[in-house]
Amino acid sequence: MKITLSRLSQLIFLAVFLILFVNTEYRGKDEISIAINSFFRANPLIIVSYLLAVKTITLLLVPGILMLVFSVLLGRFFCGWICPLGTIIDLVTDKIKKTIPIGLLKTKFKYYFLFTLLFAALFNVNISGIFDPIAILVRALTFFLYPLLGYTAKAGWTGLYYVAGENRDYVAPVYTFLKDYILPFRETFYPLAVISFVFFLFIVFLERYEKRNWCKNLCPLGTLLGLLGSFALFKRIPSILCKDCRECKTTCPTGFDEEVFQKQDCILCMDCRLKCKFKRVKFTIKLPFVGKAPAISAAKSKKTPVVIGRRIFLGGLLSGFFVSRVFSFQLPSGQERCLRPPGVSDEKEFLKKCVRCGECIKVCLRSALYPALFQTGAYGIFMPVIIPRLGYCEYNCNLCGQVCPTGAIPNLPLSQKKKSIIGVAVFDKNHCLPYAKKINCLVCEEHCPIPEKAIRFELSGEKDYNGKQIVLKKPYVIDELCTGCGICENKCPLEGKSAIEVFPAAKNKSRS
Amino acid sequence: MKRREFLRFAALSVLFSGFYKNIFAKEPPVLAVAEGKDYAAITRNAVAALGGIGKFVKKGNVVVVKPNIGWDRRPEYAATTHPAVIKAIIEDCLEAGAKKVKVFDNTCNDSRRCYENSGINAALKGLKNVELKYVESERFKNTKINGVFLKEWELYDEALLADVLINMPIAKHHNLTRLTLGLKNIMGIMGGNRGYIHRNIDEALSDMNAFVKTHLTIIDATRILLNHGPQGGNLNDVKVLNKVIASTDIVAADAFATTLFGLNPQDISTTVAAYKRGLGEMNLNKIKVIKA
Repeated sequence: MKITLSRLSQLIFLAVFLILFVNTEYRGKDEISIAINSFFRANPLIIVSYLLAVKTITLLLVPGILMLVFSVLLGRFFCGWICPLGTIIDLVTDKIKKTIPIGLLKTKFKYYFLFTLLFAALFNVNISGIFDPIAILVRALTFFLYPLLGYTAKAGWTGLYYVAGENRDYVAPVYTFLKDYILPFRETFYPLAVISFVFFLFIVFLERYEKRNWCKNLCPLGTLLGLLGSFALFKRIPSILCKDCRECKTTCPTGFDEEVFQKQDCILCMDCRLKCKFKRVKFTIKLPFVGKAPAISAAKSKKTPVVIGRRIFLGGLLSGFFVSRVFSFQLPSGQERCLRPPGVSDEKEFLKKCVRCGECIKVCLRSALYPALFQTGAYGIFMPVIIPRLGYCEYNCNLCGQVCPTGAIPNLPLSQKKKSIIGVAVFDKNHCLPYAKKINCLVCEEHCPIPEKAIRFELSGEKDYNGKQIVLKKPYVIDELCTGCGICENKCPLEGKSAIEVFPAAKNKSRS
Repeated sequence: MKRREFLRFAALSVLFSGFYKNIFAKEPPVLAVAEGKDYAAITRNAVAALGGIGKFVKKGNVVVVKPNIGWDRRPEYAATTHPAVIKAIIEDCLEAGAKKVKVFDNTCNDSRRCYENSGINAALKGLKNVELKYVESERFKNTKINGVFLKEWELYDEALLADVLINMPIAKHHNLTRLTLGLKNIMGIMGGNRGYIHRNIDEALSDMNAFVKTHLTIIDATRILLNHGPQGGNLNDVKVLNKVIASTDIVAADAFATTLFGLNPQDISTTVAAYKRGLGEMNLNKIKVIKA
């Protein structure tokens, strides 16, 4: 069995992808490698959507621009050599029996789909991240598979304790190693876990109909790369199926749905070259306007959108406009507790920039971040919100800003992050023990991480309900100091509802 | 037995028991204070003044050292027990032939950050037979305490199963209890919703300390936190004293440490409550202080 170069590259990148994923975690250092989110920062779909939505450029996405340039020169090599989702599809597709292709997907659907996303972004609603293949994969891992792995390992480890007791210590080094390098530190369960996984399963399920079905007929990133690649100088010859052989039709995973080679679908895996019995197939660099025009022009297929049709353009514009309006509705009740990661100062900007890749949620030390469903409107689906009762923002940590690929969560230096405002804590005096029951508590005050203490208290001599003279310590919040990290709400010892809760605050307050 | 007879008997037995206590008055508790810039050395001196670690740790013992490493703060902020002090005690235990020394704390901030930032990871790196682990949820066992306030709670079984328990708090300011010292540091072996005990902290800590016997209390007063405790974060609140206190009497240790803040043991209600329960001596004139 010969292994092609492209397959080797795929496996290496899949390994790299998984290593980066597992290392999106606090490992004893305050800084996390800049490479962690490479797969998103080198992602042309994300960069193009970002440019259209935010309408400015960011240095973070320079790798994506490089990828754009290379794709214009070479074609869709990303899909056949790098994309981890494509690699997973390649690894499982042969085990899935094929029926007939889906008719709808054999139309120009994917172009309409891509242009809808791009135009929606232009109209300030950037939802590309929902359908970006890398984001789909990371979300399936982060929200579903990885916690499941962690939970299973932990359950086994705990079970071993109940069976073997202290003797478990003999195998502790093994578990410690796994815990240190592979397993998640906390077994956190996430909302939308099933939906995230279903997205991924759907892509695998599509393999029932044809090879690389998602990549060829749906994937917006692949479609974009294909469009760029249709100008590529790197060409395959011959550009039609040879009449005496036609073997390429079965060999090729993407480019030979028809007699004529579809350049914008070719993922450059080069299987055809390897398997060609006559050694006819070549991939060469052909400069435009040099020599004869390729034979393709004569047999121009209906499907070749070397230039995007006006219809697709206008259709995308219209549906993008509709989508952008549909996604814009937000219920005010959802906003009441919409707490974004630290450093996010403008909700509208955040919505445009967030890729929904799940990196921040994965890296969050205290599992404070969770993907939202419709809390912040359909637009905010999969985007991170802090749920303080489940986890709080750790004062000395700024990992989420470090891993955010687009700067939706700004990468602030720690000193600045400590002052950035997530919200402001508010006491509920009907629940808070000193106010409601005349019992001292102060757990929130103790945990407040601000050195000057954003929670303080006043002493008041009172009679408790038994008539005993007591000194009550009644806590209150200093709004100017509180950053809304949520540790008070998280640690409030009341069962059920916390007596102190963080609500969104005006973000433009200046802090000395 | 009639009621009156019973009452008479009860009253007499109460009187007699108090009387009995006075006749066979115990030896006064001993407390060692060591001062100096070499934190490892003064820690060892303080323990040596009590008769050496060999008095507590026998060959083959499993020792639990319970420092305060509950906050994500560096040592100089005086929110956590100094790593040099912890390491010195651990090395002493190993020299005395301890089979294993276990170190852990149920932290308030993220445990990975606490262990890293408090300096404990670096300090204990490479020590043999020392187990520095994060607490594991399955090891919290629901335990009958039958105290005044705490009837039962999830306690960490490694602390309960240890042959020797060494309590190593740092002396700090705390707004609810005024100070947090040895008695309060035992909270670190409690699981579950610990904040619950704040509503009756004096009784709860007495319950805990009556139930969990601390064999040796070492109070880190190399630097103390005067304000904004227990986690501080401001170097202006830190006062360097270069002292380490050691005693087998946890109440005595707390009482003495109180004086470092210019307060009296009577000012600290947790100390008073523990004294009333008979967990130790808080009257400074009844404590034998050795300068080590």
